[in-house]
Amino acid sequence: MLTVDRREFLTAAAMAAATAAVAGKAKAVSLPVMGQGGLKWEKAPCRFCGTGCHVMVGTEAGKVVAIQGDQKAEVNRGLLCVKGYHVGLAMYGPDRLTTPMLRKNGRLEPITWDEAIDVIARRIMANPRTFAMYGSGQWTIPEGVAANKFMKGGLSNNYLDGNPRLCMASAVTGFLSTFGVDEPPGVYDDLDVCDVAIMWGNNMAEMHPVIFSRLIDRRSRGEKVMVIDLGTRRTRTTDHADEYLQFNPQSDLAIANGIAHLLLKNGTYDKRYVEKFCNFRQLDPEKPDVMQGKPMTFAEYESALAEYTPERVEQISGVPAAKIRMLGDLFGRRDLRINSLWCMGMNQHTRGTAINCLVHGIHLLSGHLGKPGDAATSLTGQPSACGTVREVGTLCHLLPGGRLIANEEHRKQAEGFWNLPEGRINPKPGYHTVLLFEKFCTPTDKGSDVQTLWVQVTNPGHSLPNLPKLFRGKKDLQDKFLIVSDVYPTATTELADLVLPSAMWVEKNGMYGNSERRTQQWFKMVDPPGQARDDCWQTIAVARRLFDLGFEGMKDKDGKFLFTFTNAKGDEVPVWDWNRYYDINVDEALFESYRPFTRMKHKDLAPYSEYVKARGLRWPVVEQPDGSWRETRWRFSEFDDPYVKKGAEMQFYHSVTKDDKALIWFRPYEAPPEVPDAEYPFWLCTGRVLEHWHTGSMTRRIPQLKRAMPESYVELNREDAVRLGVRSGDLVTITSRRAAVNLPAWIGGRGDPPKGSAFVPFFDEAMLINLVTLDAHDPFSKQPDYKKCAVSITKTV
Amino acid sequence: MTLHTRESARARWLGACWAIGVAGTAIAALAISGQESKTPPVVEGMAMPVSIHHPPARVKGPTQRTLTEPAPNVVPEAKANPAAVPDKYHARFESAQARAKLRAYEGAPPVVPHATEGLSVHACRECHGHGLRAGDKVARMASHTYLANCTQCHVEDQGLTQIGVAPTPVENLFKGLATSGYGSTRAWVGAPPVIPHTTFMRTNCVSCHGEYGYDGWRPDHLSRTNCVQCHTPGAHFEQMSPVFGDEASTAP
Repeated sequence: MLTVDRREFLTAAAMAAATAAVAGKAKAVSLPVMGQGGLKWEKAPCRFCGTGCHVMVGTEAGKVVAIQGDQKAEVNRGLLCVKGYHVGLAMYGPDRLTTPMLRKNGRLEPITWDEAIDVIARRIMANPRTFAMYGSGQWTIPEGVAANKFMKGGLSNNYLDGNPRLCMASAVTGFLSTFGVDEPPGVYDDLDVCDVAIMWGNNMAEMHPVIFSRLIDRRSRGEKVMVIDLGTRRTRTTDHADEYLQFNPQSDLAIANGIAHLLLKNGTYDKRYVEKFCNFRQLDPEKPDVMQGKPMTFAEYESALAEYTPERVEQISGVPAAKIRMLGDLFGRRDLRINSLWCMGMNQHTRGTAINCLVHGIHLLSGHLGKPGDAATSLTGQPSACGTVREVGTLCHLLPGGRLIANEEHRKQAEGFWNLPEGRINPKPGYHTVLLFEKFCTPTDKGSDVQTLWVQVTNPGHSLPNLPKLFRGKKDLQDKFLIVSDVYPTATTELADLVLPSAMWVEKNGMYGNSERRTQQWFKMVDPPGQARDDCWQTIAVARRLFDLGFEGMKDKDGKFLFTFTNAKGDEVPVWDWNRYYDINVDEALFESYRPFTRMKHKDLAPYSEYVKARGLRWPVVEQPDGSWRETRWRFSEFDDPYVKKGAEMQFYHSVTKDDKALIWFRPYEAPPEVPDAEYPFWLCTGRVLEHWHTGSMTRRIPQLKRAMPESYVELNREDAVRLGVRSGDLVTITSRRAAVNLPAWIGGRGDPPKGSAFVPFFDEAMLINLVTLDAHDPFSKQPDYKKCAVSITKTV
Repeated sequence: MTLHTRESARARWLGACWAIGVAGTAIAALAISGQESKTPPVVEGMAMPVSIHHPPARVKGPTQRTLTEPAPNVVPEAKANPAAVPDKYHARFESAQARAKLRAYEGAPPVVPHATEGLSVHACRECHGHGLRAGDKVARMASHTYLANCTQCHVEDQGLTQIGVAPTPVENLFKGLATSGYGSTRAWVGAPPVIPHTTFMRTNCVSCHGEYGYDGWRPDHLSRTNCVQCHTPGAHFEQMSPVFGDEASTAP
């Protein structure tokens, strides 16, 4: 019996004929019918930025073949950006690292995993105190948990820091200084209801495009939302803004003070809110390096702000006094909801802590904090800078759950949770990123005590500032040993002595924590290529080798291995054996071991199984009487946060002053450490572009992204270009006190810097702008300032 | 841009420069002012300058390339006209192929086959807001005009060519989900075919199936406007209506 529809048969025949006809020509594309290999869809958070979009990953025959925006995800509601849509391609670059390699006679040569693990373990055995680890905001939460326990609990070694130090450390110190506890009170829901959104040096249209769309697409629904772009150059965000207020680099400090000045002068600050919920603070001039500062009275605060008149602020910032008044008026209105948003502009700043505090300050002063739409929210660049680094505490001075290494009580608690003998955790904090790499690049006989450095899931050879000093210095030092776990060759593996191939994203189980306190989970969907293995396994395998070699620290109080896991039957599973690693869910075991840490700072996490069901949950996630788990959107607000006592309205329950009040800081405008002069007359700002994510090690291997943005360039102002005799496409040399780099000029391109300034994206490995940038950093957050240094620009001859 | 079009563009540019140069000389000679012509000197072998040395006052605007050179890879009108396509199946295949060329996999946002840099982010709407024909080119109507940040998802196929960066091939071993192409999309003989792609953000069927749509994909019953009355989404894709907070949030 004929079962094929005749018309379909004819059509198919015609199609076959057409295929044959076209196949005769060059570059024929075959068009197989989709979904024949058993197409499966599963959820995962996107691999790239801190927005935390969920994607649906389509897999077929063991490979990722398609991506969709996850319509069930509240963050992105089915929409992605161009990076997210192409995230699946990040795993399929032709030069994936697939075998461990050891440098022998200057060349990286393949070795076995067993040898590789042994090399690391023996170096640690020989000198556990000079071993250091450098992790990442791209570490999954369990990877961070394992590394933290391994270093601080196992090796009694605090030489562990992470790249979020370069990315959002100033946001952390800003939250700590203001609220006494890290991470934003607000959420992305504020974007749905705010009347005014202020971008503080923040090109959100390119850097966090999905939630930027969540904001501006409200206009398509007939809603009004005013976007104010406070920037040092015109960007795509400017194109969507109602107001573009261009300010001189560093003068954001003066603008924030100008707003506070007007709120007081006009009497439009929220007197009731301030009296009930706020105290005032300033740095102690006698102890200027103490972040907690000292109290100040309202009168002192008022007089400190007296000089920041709109006219004075115009002088410093270049923003017209009338526009400063406009900002003052907006904050002075109680009928508007105002959402401030920032990312690297405020964080990569030698006064990063100060500007973060000041922006929180004007929101507190005007009562624009704690109601839906009224929020000051920092956005993060990495998918788990919050989840893995800030919360798990993979920094040189932290223990999990907001605990401090320097605090004896906190150390005792950590030893308790980890079942370690008392005194195991070293009380002395380690080195922050800039110092860690400075030490690593200093010869041992010149006072360095960092000899072996293990880098996981990040590319410091590209992303550190002042690379000649902080990374390239390692090159000829025989006593240094660099271990790099990564998925592709990078500027970091170039100098590595041991390279370990890692599994990435959906090639392994994982958990991330995004910018709005949302913890997310995914399962492994495909196998990693060749011999690539999970970073978490690598850490546990080295720990086990040390245990087998008799390293005392790898045992807990009862003499058991630090990473002892059991299956459902209660039998121990040797997860350090790669073949057995997925016998149990190691992620779940590590996550559950970490959960008890999260209660102290009221960052409660739900059981692992809750995250399996959800598209992420925002902490504190609190168990309800019926056994369900409820997430919290607005922290410190009575109407939503279960930890706020009834009738309090707002309660900053981790307050620095222990009275449930937040701190409004005064911090003065201070000039940046390096300003343009006769020899180096231009400002240089560095940053990102839509298509490339950070150092481009993944996105530069994705055809659609690389082709859209093949290489780096320098954006010049037209007037400067005319004066220099430079046309678009001409090669120019950018020289700073550190180094020089050649780049093609782009005039009237993606962004438009004002006269006397230039912008260079940092993604391009072939044109490393971080050879040029400055390593000056914020005194509290230790975060470097990549946004401003002085350079000269000449046409390359 | 292929070498061919690049060469011809350069030839056109040099020709224009020559013409302006001649005119300039003539004017200068007539005026006997002794003032130098502002035309940049033409040097043999000079790369085609894209930005104009004496820039216009506005911040954003069309680039030289946008003005002088039609967008490559855009389907010419002749091919978009069904009457001109006697072999519908062949056309359907070619359309699928042309469409696939601009996408990493079925469901990926297409890359933009023409220059976008130097234009305002709102410029996309000028042509893609309603769809239009310009010369022999067709700009398809966006199927999700409620989204404002077009360049968030759609990037240039060959970026930076404006400043002389040559397109480089990028190798990647990813094999994307094939374009829907032709499959058994009917439940029985004579049943209306199911939609072989996602419908989220593709609610405007006429973008691809209407007047400015693809060859071979225009139905013979365009007068009927309620497409989804008969054509339902296929099951290959994970498709659901967005319901926020059903699992993720128990907030009031």
